[in-house]
Amino acid sequence: MPSITENPVTIADYKGDVHPDWCPGCGDFGVLSVLQRALAEMGIPANEVMIVSGIGCSSNLPGFINTYGLHTLHGRSLPIAQGFKLANHAMNVIACGGDGDGYGIGVGHFIHAMRRNIDMTYVVMNNSIYGLTTGQTSPTSGLNMKTKSTPFGNPEMPLNPIALALSAGCSFVARGFSGNPKQLVEIYKAAVKHKGFAYIDTFSPCVTFNKVNTAQFYRDNTYEIEGENHDKTSKAAALERALETDRIGTGIFYVQERPQYEEFEKEVLEQPLVQHELGLSKDLQHKLIEQFV
Amino acid sequence: MSEKKNVIVRIAGAAGDGIASTGELFGKTCSRMGLHVMAYNAYQSAIRGGHVWLQLNVGEEKTRCHGEQPDVALLLNKTSPEVHIPDMKSGGIVFYDISKIKEDLSVIRDDLQYYGLDFKELCDFPGVSPVMVNVLLAGALIQTVGLDTGVSLEFFKEKFTKKGDEIVEVNQKVFNAGVAWAKANAKSGLSLKGDGKKRMFMTGNDAIGMGLLAGGLKSYAAYPMSPATGILHYLSTQAKKAKIIVKQTEDELAAANFAIGAGHAGVRAATATSGGGYCLMVEAVGLAGMLEVPVVLINVQRGGPSTGLPTKQEQADIKLVMGGNGDFPRIVIAPKDVEDAFFQSARALNLAEKYQCPVIILSDLFLSEHYQTVDPFDFSKVTIERGKFMKELPAGAARYKRYEVTEDGISPRLMPGAAGHMYCSGSDEHDENGELISDVLAGLPRAIDVRMKMHPKRMRKEETMLKENDINLPEIVGPKDAKLTLLGWGSTFDYIEEACETLRADGLSVNHLHFTDLYPMDREKLVEVFNSCNEIVAVENNMSNQMSKLILAETGFELKRFINRFDGEPFTGEYIVNAVKKKELAHA
Repeated sequence: MPSITENPVTIADYKGDVHPDWCPGCGDFGVLSVLQRALAEMGIPANEVMIVSGIGCSSNLPGFINTYGLHTLHGRSLPIAQGFKLANHAMNVIACGGDGDGYGIGVGHFIHAMRRNIDMTYVVMNNSIYGLTTGQTSPTSGLNMKTKSTPFGNPEMPLNPIALALSAGCSFVARGFSGNPKQLVEIYKAAVKHKGFAYIDTFSPCVTFNKVNTAQFYRDNTYEIEGENHDKTSKAAALERALETDRIGTGIFYVQERPQYEEFEKEVLEQPLVQHELGLSKDLQHKLIEQFV
Repeated sequence: MSEKKNVIVRIAGAAGDGIASTGELFGKTCSRMGLHVMAYNAYQSAIRGGHVWLQLNVGEEKTRCHGEQPDVALLLNKTSPEVHIPDMKSGGIVFYDISKIKEDLSVIRDDLQYYGLDFKELCDFPGVSPVMVNVLLAGALIQTVGLDTGVSLEFFKEKFTKKGDEIVEVNQKVFNAGVAWAKANAKSGLSLKGDGKKRMFMTGNDAIGMGLLAGGLKSYAAYPMSPATGILHYLSTQAKKAKIIVKQTEDELAAANFAIGAGHAGVRAATATSGGGYCLMVEAVGLAGMLEVPVVLINVQRGGPSTGLPTKQEQADIKLVMGGNGDFPRIVIAPKDVEDAFFQSARALNLAEKYQCPVIILSDLFLSEHYQTVDPFDFSKVTIERGKFMKELPAGAARYKRYEVTEDGISPRLMPGAAGHMYCSGSDEHDENGELISDVLAGLPRAIDVRMKMHPKRMRKEETMLKENDINLPEIVGPKDAKLTLLGWGSTFDYIEEACETLRADGLSVNHLHFTDLYPMDREKLVEVFNSCNEIVAVENNMSNQMSKLILAETGFELKRFINRFDGEPFTGEYIVNAVKKKELAHA
């Protein structure tokens, strides 16, 4: 008997006690199960995972998975997740939320988190609508789309989050679709493994409030970029695909090997901060005083 | 004049003229001789060209106040004479740069001694630059005030060694030229004798930063905002030595939430800002209250509202830090002076962990940015107490409940990462396990039951703080049975003390009631304190008496007489004395 199978991590370890209260057919179910599968397949013990979310339907995810979780404020999952990660970098930190949370109210944090490149994963469940507030326009709602807050059509151009991520210096940029779990699980695994800030825009259709960007819409309009020999080390190639208008690519757009933020704090982060002993040495106390004398 | 125990010095010029470095040289010369210094920095929101000045009150005994009229002034630019000469004490001494100030100053006032120094003539040697005129004048100043110029020469050595011996030497040469000139030309009769005890010369922001380090701070996040930025600067320079993370974030929303993330992970975390930035942090403070995360938030108040008076003084953010949606437990502490700022910062980290709630430190521009001498802090008085924090659960423990309802309102806190006890914390109302009751369960009997348990559980922490005597009552300084009590809070301590001393010397019966812990308030004990006083006058560095209103709201005790200042300047002892005398006359 190989001893390695003694305590294997299984998908059951990640099953939460609480049944999700999402609408039947919601894309978020697919995201949740793919995430559970990816983490289990990677053999990461569930207690070494912290999932931080914002506010919105998809931000309820941490309550439905058996890991450590933080369900925070609308748009603020990223700063909380980053503060957490630098305090205990032994944990795998995953932030998640919706498109309103990440591209609307939290877009400032999104941009800076990408250029900062702390070693964590960010999953945006993008449904191009505000679901929990019952159907208003979102930053990724299409031009002219009719919603409760834009009954005469959305007058604003939708944000292109993949292009934004590429220009903001994100070191891992990907897009997936909850209806394509086979591809999504590989993307999530690569993202969690990536050293640095890994971002995945994940189409997660809203069955109740978005009648345009349905699961069928994504099945009809997406294609897997790896099937076309996409060079994920080329930012120009990634940007070209991100700017396509006639079809929507899914897969890993861009991966850049560059030092993660923690590398710049090497001396401080030799041990996770949570393991540091508190209090100053006599010698340091003396030095702090002397500086002002 | 030789028996004078203190000398007030003012250094004025344009931003960029070296006011701060001259002040540091002068201040450190004093502090190393064992003299006491209290300084106040008046500046504008401009990096170059604005008019700035620094006033230092140097004494053989502790100086409580930066003082009113200067004995000696050092004027470096054209704007200086009209601003500062009218403020001088009669008979005072003025040193100035004749390349910038060409007019006949005796036209403004003829009861002062004026000494113009010519940098070109006095410093005609290689390696000098006209920007060093402040060093020349500093030499004249330090010689004239009667300080030990050798201490200053030593200071140049330390300050510029890294830049090379040449820089040290040229600074010393310019300085000596000023000393020699003053010896030959300026006679003051001033002399100050220090007690030889070396003291620190530092700001409140430095003390806050050092206090946080002493208290075990591990993660600090901030967005630059005057007058709180000094804490960021201080901690950034210490980060590697003290092995802490210091992160400048994209905004104050991120700073507060970054600190909450770190606090939740299990390290001691803090952030600092001024009122405008704190406005952005308010949602995060409520989050910390709901998630029961220990975090310290420092609000260094400045003149408001809105952008207000970015470089001026006010104590007007009590309403702000008492704000936020809904009810959640919190502690508000306003340190009374630089030394107190050190100890309160360390204490705040303990209280935050013990009560698993936000602790707010209310400093202000005056306390945070003025330099003063302080005795080296006694680190042995700082203890680190982590409350009900656990890195692991004891073997065989029952299923862990992050928000277990307890009598004192504090639930045992398990560091995320421990195996087998995963929990989710939420900003929504939740049960003892952290499970949300806000969505499909909202309004159902079970959810109502949970709400009625969890909300009082959190709020009960404020009662526990009072029961366990973790909140200090205001201190009474002076005779208990005084006819008049001056009530103050936070950074006004020394000013009110100085005023009390002067008023007592003038025959008035007066004492001082001072709050450093502002919230929560113990209603019964406070009313007893107030009732033991005769006539109380509240001294507030704001217009609307925010502390007095908090006292009224929390205890039902109404203060009726006030001394306010909201012109952007800190109080001075003299200001309070004059106001009291005027009020006492009106009252008689």
